[in-house]
Amino acid sequence: MTTAPTDRYICANCGYIYAPGLGDPMNAILAGTSFGGLPEEWVCPMCYATKDQFDPLD
Amino acid sequence: MKPSVASLYQAVELQQEIPPLLIGERANANGSKKFRELLLADDYDSCLKIAQEQEAKGAHIIDLCTAYAGRDEKADLTTMVRLCANALKAPLMIDSTTPECIEACLQLYPGRAIINSINLEDGGVNIRRICRAAKKYGAALVALTIDEQGMAMTSDDKVRIAKAIHAIAVNEFGLRPKDLLFDCLTFTVGSGDAGLRDAALQTLEGIRRIKTELPGCLTVLGLSNISFGLAPQARRILNSVFLHEAVEAGLDAAIVDAAKILPLARIAAEDRQISLDLLYNRQVEGEKDPLMRFIDHFSGKKDDPADQEQGPARTTEEQLFYKLMDGDKDGLDDILAILRERFKPIDIINQILVPAMRHVGELFGKGEILLPFVLQSAEVMKASVTLLEPFMDKADGGSATKILLATVQGDVHDIGKNLVDIILSNNGYKVYNIGIKVSAETVIEKAREYQVDLIGLSGLLVKSAIVMQESMPQYRQAGLNIPILLGGAALTPKFVAESCVPGYDGPVVYCADAFAGLKAVREFEEGRLVATSYDGAAAVKPMKPGVKDVVLDRSNPVPVPPFIGQRYVENIDPAVLFPLVNVEALFRGRWGYRRGKLGVGEYEDLIHGTVQPQYEELIRKSLAEGLIRPKVSYGYFHCHSEENSLFVRAEGKEHVFTFPRQREAPFLCIADYFKSSRDGGDIVGFFIVTIGGRMGEETARLYQKNAYHDYLMLHGFGVEVTDALAEYWHGVMRRELGIDGKRSGGSNGATTQAYQGSRYGFGYPSCPDLDAHLPLFAFLKPEAIGISLTENMQMVPEQTTSAIVAHHPQAKYFAV
Repeated sequence: MTTAPTDRYICANCGYIYAPGLGDPMNAILAGTSFGGLPEEWVCPMCYATKDQFDPLD
Repeated sequence: MKPSVASLYQAVELQQEIPPLLIGERANANGSKKFRELLLADDYDSCLKIAQEQEAKGAHIIDLCTAYAGRDEKADLTTMVRLCANALKAPLMIDSTTPECIEACLQLYPGRAIINSINLEDGGVNIRRICRAAKKYGAALVALTIDEQGMAMTSDDKVRIAKAIHAIAVNEFGLRPKDLLFDCLTFTVGSGDAGLRDAALQTLEGIRRIKTELPGCLTVLGLSNISFGLAPQARRILNSVFLHEAVEAGLDAAIVDAAKILPLARIAAEDRQISLDLLYNRQVEGEKDPLMRFIDHFSGKKDDPADQEQGPARTTEEQLFYKLMDGDKDGLDDILAILRERFKPIDIINQILVPAMRHVGELFGKGEILLPFVLQSAEVMKASVTLLEPFMDKADGGSATKILLATVQGDVHDIGKNLVDIILSNNGYKVYNIGIKVSAETVIEKAREYQVDLIGLSGLLVKSAIVMQESMPQYRQAGLNIPILLGGAALTPKFVAESCVPGYDGPVVYCADAFAGLKAVREFEEGRLVATSYDGAAAVKPMKPGVKDVVLDRSNPVPVPPFIGQRYVENIDPAVLFPLVNVEALFRGRWGYRRGKLGVGEYEDLIHGTVQPQYEELIRKSLAEGLIRPKVSYGYFHCHSEENSLFVRAEGKEHVFTFPRQREAPFLCIADYFKSSRDGGDIVGFFIVTIGGRMGEETARLYQKNAYHDYLMLHGFGVEVTDALAEYWHGVMRRELGIDGKRSGGSNGATTQAYQGSRYGFGYPSCPDLDAHLPLFAFLKPEAIGISLTENMQMVPEQTTSAIVAHHPQAKYFAV
């Protein structure tokens, strides 16, 4: 399943929000990358929770 | 002459030209809510209508049951028999296990009735009295394959008990084989219980063998148990397919809701095939097991609207099942009282409650229900078992798998271990939970004393993972080889496989959560539990977030603190903390209200309708009961850095904090954020904050009284309020240092670090080593506000946290 590039996701562990429009500079993720497009080894830049700890927000 | 029964008006052959004989099940106070409510209102005429409606829908015989707690069964049953005798053409089945009710009805009934039922549960007392009455009044008899050991599960037991009943009824009382209808009983194939996977096969085989080994006898079956726990429309199809198979095996009669049986021709070939795969437990290479395929297949299909219009007309067994599913304890004692009339307590537990809990666990695994609801179901389980215990034999449940649970030496965290306890003990296992800070010696001693089958060790801290690793050879030397399950936030499959498994002879198994623990125990029972293995090549190596290219500015100004040295603060209003609580982390992370498969609107409804009110109630409760008593010890100190160390001057002494350095770019270390003596030295802040011990005491009290749901809620609340206090105090310190800027505070600030500087919690990714607590305690002296250290450098009470505060503008979170 692919996600639209605007769909935001929230970390259930710390509340950090991944917004595709901003990307994630802490992990060298370019703006415009959808959550689904993040690599499997990506972790929350704030608390290091893995991708499965994220909930869709939109 | 063919075996028959009769009403005042007609005889009905028990072996129909086109089997089966259909016995209507709705005129039953246990099985039909509508019938029960009418009976409770003494509305006998409307009760009669339910019986008549079934006749109209094709039932050949009408089952009549008025047993309900608080009612006079005999008065109700004789009244209804009188009414039915005149108004129904279909002969009656007198459904009672009380000999005197049966005798009274047989005296009244002007035809040949069927008695439902006899069994050997009491070792042969009631059966003899009822057989005598059946002989005297000329009734047929339904015989259930139950004896003193309980309900027969295997075809061997079903046939053995049937033969024992046959011997009594035919040889002792002179009944004819054709007067007997054996009910082999069936159990659900819908629960996923490994022991019930072949339940349909055992029943079908039982029917086949009784028909050949007890010639002339008949068979009957209460059909709907087979699909217990599945969705209504799927049940209807599975029941219909199973009925067809049972008739093929030799079934003569079925107790059913006649209106809900579908002709085989009306069932789609695909639906039929998937039902047969489930009934015959057919594994298909490379596919999910038959139950999962069945559930997946029917999950997309809408329930028949007709089912919903009729509303839930559930049997008592189903009511209990749904009480547990819904986490609803209301009326549990009534339901259990009814069930106890028909089942042994241990059977109620093993046949209804345990499968229901298993179903709850599976739904949780699929993300269809959330942890707080699982805990509410576990509370129903616990409450049911407590209500059943006074009626249980001591020996019952003695064969359950036994598990020892402990939090390891030096670690006071017990929420994880206690969740495992809740899940295991409420899935029918015997758990010995021996508490926190337990030494390996004590684990060994208790494992021997209780003769446990498995050991579960828990621990939150990084240090606890090391303790687990180091204790493995101790368990080996003690001669243990039972499986050891390991759980805790600092563990990974890699660590367990590489550092724990080699030190012990039995399987050492990593469990990510309580349900992984449950899975491991089940695998142990099935003889297929193996040690955790780790494939480094296939594994995903997590990223290390952080800026990769950092040049730290050395020209930043050193702020002037309002004082140098240590101070205590105790007059903090708890109400200032709530706006800083990270509610996303609390709701989703601590409490487990993940969005999962919910839509945006559904999730909002859940949050606004359920979660937010719970949160507000906890705020009210904690203020009213004084559960939050914030206390702080903090200070500002002169310091200078040297490589990986920070030298802190306090009360004329120098204290050294040595921090780890990243082993890859940008090679950061907390000491880097502070100036060296050559650069003129620096100022560092430290704090230890606690909300006090009352929160922990109240949390423990909730666990003790089995209020699992409230326990999880309050525990998570306490953790996040403690974090909010750290956030609040960090804000105070930034303000005192004059670096608070414009964007500090709020949970959003906390998760994006939109403020100058950073705080690093001891035990967290930037400085995982808790040994720093030793110098910290030397000059912050938090003992005066009730905080102490365990041997593993962990702070007590649990609702306490500590940090070093750096003011450097480039200081941000990083992990070593």
